[in-house]
Amino acid sequence: MKVLTLVMLLCYSFAFSSGDTTIHTNNWAVLVCTSRFWFNYRHMANTLSLYRTVKRLGIPDERIILMLADDMACNARNEYPAQVFNNENHKLNLYGDNVEVDYRGYEVTVENFLRVLTGRHENAVPRSKRLLSDEGSHILLYMTGHGGDEFLKFQDAEELQSHDLADAVKQMKEKRRFKELMIMVDTCQAATLFNQLQSPDVLAIGSSLKGENSYSHHLDSDVGVSVVDRFTYYTLAFFERLNIYDNASLNSLFRSYDPKLLMSTAYYRTDLYQPHLAEVPVTNFFGSVMETLHTDSVYKAFSSKTSNNKINSEMPLNQLSEHDELQKANIQNDELKTEKQKCPYTQMRVDLHKKLEKLENVDTVVNLGIAVMLLVVMVSSSLL
Amino acid sequence: MASEKRDKEEEEVKTDDGSPKIKPRPIVQLGIFLVAHSPVFSVVFSAAGVLALLILPLLAKNTYISENALMPGSARSMLSNRDVSDGSKLVKDIKNYWLNHEGQGVEVQKLIGKYMSDMGAEVYYQKFHPEGNQFHPLHFFSGPDSYTLLDNVSCASYGVNVAGIIRAPRGDGKESIVLVTPYDFINGGDYEALSLGITSTLFSLLARVTWLSKDIIWLVTDSRYGDYRPVAAWLTEYHSPSFKVSDLLKCGELNTADTFRRAGTVAAALVLKVDGRSERFEDTLSIYAEASNGQMPNLDLINVVNYLAVHRQGFYVKVEKVVSLLSSSWLKIIGEIFEAVGKLARTLNPDWNFGIPAADYLEGSATLASSLYSQALGIPTGPHGAFRDYQVDAITLKISPRFPPDSKTRQHDFFLRGARLLEGTIRSVNNLLEKFHQSFFLYLLTSPSKFISVGVYMIAFALLVAPLPMVAASLYIEGCKALTKSTDNPTENLKSWKWLDAAKQVFALHLLGFIVTLLPYFICQVPGQHSPRNRSIMWGTTSSSLLLITFAIIPGCSPFSSRHHGTNWAVLKSVTISAAFIGLCLMSIINFATAEIGALLLVPTCLMAQPIKPALRSRRIKSLLGAFCSMVLLTIGFPVMFFAISKGLFGEAVVGLSLGGEFWTWLESLWAWKSATYLYIGMVHLPCWLLCLCILFHPS
Repeated sequence: MKVLTLVMLLCYSFAFSSGDTTIHTNNWAVLVCTSRFWFNYRHMANTLSLYRTVKRLGIPDERIILMLADDMACNARNEYPAQVFNNENHKLNLYGDNVEVDYRGYEVTVENFLRVLTGRHENAVPRSKRLLSDEGSHILLYMTGHGGDEFLKFQDAEELQSHDLADAVKQMKEKRRFKELMIMVDTCQAATLFNQLQSPDVLAIGSSLKGENSYSHHLDSDVGVSVVDRFTYYTLAFFERLNIYDNASLNSLFRSYDPKLLMSTAYYRTDLYQPHLAEVPVTNFFGSVMETLHTDSVYKAFSSKTSNNKINSEMPLNQLSEHDELQKANIQNDELKTEKQKCPYTQMRVDLHKKLEKLENVDTVVNLGIAVMLLVVMVSSSLL
Repeated sequence: MASEKRDKEEEEVKTDDGSPKIKPRPIVQLGIFLVAHSPVFSVVFSAAGVLALLILPLLAKNTYISENALMPGSARSMLSNRDVSDGSKLVKDIKNYWLNHEGQGVEVQKLIGKYMSDMGAEVYYQKFHPEGNQFHPLHFFSGPDSYTLLDNVSCASYGVNVAGIIRAPRGDGKESIVLVTPYDFINGGDYEALSLGITSTLFSLLARVTWLSKDIIWLVTDSRYGDYRPVAAWLTEYHSPSFKVSDLLKCGELNTADTFRRAGTVAAALVLKVDGRSERFEDTLSIYAEASNGQMPNLDLINVVNYLAVHRQGFYVKVEKVVSLLSSSWLKIIGEIFEAVGKLARTLNPDWNFGIPAADYLEGSATLASSLYSQALGIPTGPHGAFRDYQVDAITLKISPRFPPDSKTRQHDFFLRGARLLEGTIRSVNNLLEKFHQSFFLYLLTSPSKFISVGVYMIAFALLVAPLPMVAASLYIEGCKALTKSTDNPTENLKSWKWLDAAKQVFALHLLGFIVTLLPYFICQVPGQHSPRNRSIMWGTTSSSLLLITFAIIPGCSPFSSRHHGTNWAVLKSVTISAAFIGLCLMSIINFATAEIGALLLVPTCLMAQPIKPALRSRRIKSLLGAFCSMVLLTIGFPVMFFAISKGLFGEAVVGLSLGGEFWTWLESLWAWKSATYLYIGMVHLPCWLLCLCILFHPS
């Protein structure tokens, strides 16, 4: 038995040691609005718009960490109480019924942000506030606020520096908290925030280059503030044309940014990211589109060899053969496991039952039992 | 001077013989150099100071909105015709009331109060005493007066303010914005009623909007008793509630006990006045900002109003200017010179475009002069001054419509634009999260959209006073030398105590100045009614007799004392100049404009002062000219004389004894408004002037 588990563990670790071969199993999104105050209404609207989009494209609420530094909806200055709009036509209320804000107000700090990324929480932090990603996760990290050269301001009080971000990402990579990470930043001089990134499998996109400002898109003269930033506005415009089944690539998203409309130059950092952008669908990050695996029986997970093969069809051939063997071993292990894996309590009950059935004269057994009990009682009382 | 420097160097070489010669630090060398050539440098620096003052209009920068949160004009106006008709109706009702009734009573207040409560505001009335400000020497800088309620108040005369509060529907109630419209409830003019119309229009809108985060208070003050006093009385009550029930509350039909209501901290206040017809094609908006002691509201508040008035509502915005300067030819010539220099510089290098047209320069300097004058006077230019005493940013907006007050057709449009201007300003202030703090508090305006910040205008002052310490040092060295030569007794040669005699004299005269400053308080206590002229005569005679007594009892103080007792005039001048320097620097912190104007007068007087007798004896043109100059400067420097000259410049000639009365009234207004300028005149300017007089008649 022990040997068997050891073999199983070995197989597992071997299977996952080559990180790239991990299957993309889930999607997470961390959406951060870092600025307070009424005149930064647009940053909250940006973040809520992204929240709505990724939710629409299939990331469930429990896999979205939404951080909003201020509550514009309930600000006394808001002409539309409890509503937030990202367009002056006021057609879409972003702050509807189903908005789950995980970190709000003064909870949005650099410390909490880094804790979310690295997963070092205090024990009392509920699961809903944690980024419970694993090595199969694709994570979208969206940040907006006021930034500068290699920093992003949090709450007008602190700064997240590019070193901090790079460090957090490195820790995440080492802890296998993601398979691929996409960082999207809409601030002034956003590109500078990525300068220190080194970890592989990270794709970064920023709204502006060093020395450039990111501008707001338009002013809502009823609310009296700018309601959305240009970069986010055109990102949303791109996604509004998509639905969950579309196959648009990241490349097409990146090409959709027009520096003239943006009034700044969108910047992509792709040197840490290996796949070809033209072949990666945007839904890899902005949605949660999984391959559905048809199985014959309900509980037999991992048993379908054909579907696994299908997923791995894009891999190089030499890897494939190796992988196949591994999988065979895996499957065998699984079968062994299912045989042995019966609850010990149930087993005992079953054994007992069988023995009982073998007995013929139940009455004598009962009488004997009572006699024995009496004896035991007598002995124990005399002893006391 | 050059010989003296050589002396110093020789001394150094002597003392250092044997040991390697230590070279003094560059800063010390520079100091020695400046002191050694002090006459040249004092002329250069003073001239540069005056020149810097003249080129200030060129250095003015365009104003800009510094606070991000303000966002003026970003929200669409929500005023509707219904709101305007509310305002028009109030004006019509008030006019009808005047047609059918005669003064007295509080009917108009009640009418306004009814309108306010119909709009959904909390309304209350406040009674106050119209008692004027009393001079009290201890109350300078002691913050806002606690107008003590007298027990034996008479119900004969009291004013009634009306105030309405709109609570912000979702606000936290911690802050408020105050709108003030002064109105004479007994014989209200037609123009004044228009200001009520505008505010009522706005109030009707604000009562139904959802975006308020601060409460709005509309205060209609009883301007029978001046613009300032009712506002000050309301503010006192607002900030320091009195728990003693005053008899005043029970006067008349209106019982106002326990009705005073408050909102949060006042974030900003706007005083609205409508008066006179605009002489321009557009409606004119004048902005008044100066509060007591030259304090200004935050520049952002002026910027917001100016931006909205010019770019949204099409008002012609102006700030006060000295009109007489606009036609002065010498200023025009200077402006033309600057224009030519600017053009020349631009041809040399296209990046140097500091030149402005001569007409702009003229406008700028006239405005700057007015700005300097109002700040230096230290008297608030409107009811907004009362708010500044509580550190509230406030300005007075005076709108002059281009139509006669009874024109119904134009009135609608006028109300709409006036109320939109106020709405925009209030919405901006409403967006604020903190007090105004981003923009400047220390500035001078050269036009509604141009300002000179403290960093720039201080240069002019610094250049002007820079010669004082240099000349003081050089005179001290000179005086010490003279004394050493005259007395060979080594015990009297304690170099460091040479200045003590002179300091005694300077201190005595400053003490005298202090007493003279306090005298008016005691003169006011003299029973019986006296005209200002008599009071000024009383003051003058007491002061001069005090001066004579000082001269008599302190030997060596008087310029008429024998030569033996008299101090060396150079040392005396040196100490005088030091005292003037300290006084001016202190004043520049309290009120820059006073210090600047004071320095313009005092610095040349102090620098030129020299004994007249040796000059007359020597009969040399140069020394005679110097003596003449110092006499002229001393004549101008006498406060009464300067007052008369400045009056003359403004076109009101006063001569003879009535001048004394005028001067007294002017001073009375200064101390009534607790202006630090009064203290400056009494405690810095007057003693220094007397000391210069002593030097002039010094028997050396």
